[in-house]
Amino acid sequence: MKIRPQVVKNTKKSQRSWRVLGIETSCDETAVSILRVQGSAVRVDKNLVSSQIPIHQMYGGVVPEVAARAHVVELIALLDQALGKTYMKRVDAIAVTHGPGLATALRVGLEAARCLAAVSGKPIVGVNHLEGHIASSWLNAANRRQWKFPLLALIVSGGHTELIFIKDFCEYSLIGQTRDDAAGEAFDKSAKLMGLPYPGGPQIARAALNGDSSAFALPRPMLHDGAFDFSFSGLKTAVRQTWEALSIDQREARRADLAASTQQAIVDVLVTKTILAAHQTKVRGVLLVGGVSANRALRERLGEAIKRDLRGVSFLPSDIRYVTDNAAMIAAAGAWHLQRGDAHDWKKMDVDPELDLF
Amino acid sequence: MNSFLIKNIDEWNVFAAQLVTRLQPSMIVTLSGSLGVGKTTLVQAVARALGVKVNPRSPTFSLMRTYRTSDGSSIKRVLHVDAYRLEKSSDVLALDMDEELSEPGTVLFIEWPENLQVWMKKQTGPRLQITISIREDGAREVTMS
Repeated sequence: MKIRPQVVKNTKKSQRSWRVLGIETSCDETAVSILRVQGSAVRVDKNLVSSQIPIHQMYGGVVPEVAARAHVVELIALLDQALGKTYMKRVDAIAVTHGPGLATALRVGLEAARCLAAVSGKPIVGVNHLEGHIASSWLNAANRRQWKFPLLALIVSGGHTELIFIKDFCEYSLIGQTRDDAAGEAFDKSAKLMGLPYPGGPQIARAALNGDSSAFALPRPMLHDGAFDFSFSGLKTAVRQTWEALSIDQREARRADLAASTQQAIVDVLVTKTILAAHQTKVRGVLLVGGVSANRALRERLGEAIKRDLRGVSFLPSDIRYVTDNAAMIAAAGAWHLQRGDAHDWKKMDVDPELDLF
Repeated sequence: MNSFLIKNIDEWNVFAAQLVTRLQPSMIVTLSGSLGVGKTTLVQAVARALGVKVNPRSPTFSLMRTYRTSDGSSIKRVLHVDAYRLEKSSDVLALDMDEELSEPGTVLFIEWPENLQVWMKKQTGPRLQITISIREDGAREVTMS
């Protein structure tokens, strides 16, 4: 991956402890975290996410709804909360998301991090947002105990659907990804088509509890093509056609069935491809990370399938607290790099909206 | 106004090849049509026609994606914006679209332009409006003006 252009220091491997300040502003959430890492011992001291904190009540004014401008207001507030009066004294290093994401949003977090690095003289490391999601699984102590390379990660969120092979810390290769819509987007847009409110994932999951998942035959694109790419955009069309074929009177009664069938179609594809990829790459554990990994049907089905089809392979889902965008996961991935001696020169850092992990 | 009927991915490619000949730097191409009608599919076909090496994916969550072309034409860069999640036109400021569009050789495709009406009204450059609808038999009707 592109992260090692300027190695400025080489510390002894995993001996020292790191208190890492994590900063994440790649999309909608502004997040700040302080993480302590010493070897395999990890403690999340602070984990602040803007949408969970009434910032305008504490700091006055109105938080703009626009991503980038909101990040500016929120980031200052969260840094103040996380660092307190000791400021950077109790932080050893800074980890910040530098891509992929929205340029204007990424820039807010990166510029703040660069300033902190410049004035404090502490090392800074840029983290790929996807690597952060991978590291979210490692925040779970039970997962760390079973953490044996190589690993496979299924990253599923509103903006991402990727299968990533992990050879070692910080060594990744892409196995497969969506060619069009992300899994989370498939949930959200299908929900919208059947008249369910936003965010669609939890709404579909709730409605599906009372539905028959085999009621409607929805497509499972590329399920048996032997490759590991995904396609979810055709599902929208199928859901729409199914919904529109129902009479207005039928719709209320059949919505749960359609929700259950939609969820089943998405989960089927994700689980089947992940199991096949894990089998072929002979990994020792499978990570399930990203916002969609909160979906209970996906968690259960993938966990069961690993148990049934993959002998001796651990199932390593993120803790629910860390599935959506947060900065603890960014700090954790940053700690991996810091323990290897990776760091960036703050003077030369820039955002990369299309940053690759490979 | 031109109207086209599209039945499969090959016909999207044929349509995209025609569309590409009408593109010019700084042009805004608006893509209107409901969920699942094929707006991103069209951008994928356009990217192929322009020699973009990656496959455009839905920008709904990232809001904006950028692609470099490699066909040697006057179009160097494709911006793909999805305003589906933008509820207020003021949100567009966050995307820095004015600055992005001013980069030479850039053409901008916008899905859900209806959510960006205030910004759209201020734009004076060349524009193409594409509307896609879906027929009962699943074929897509595309109009361009």
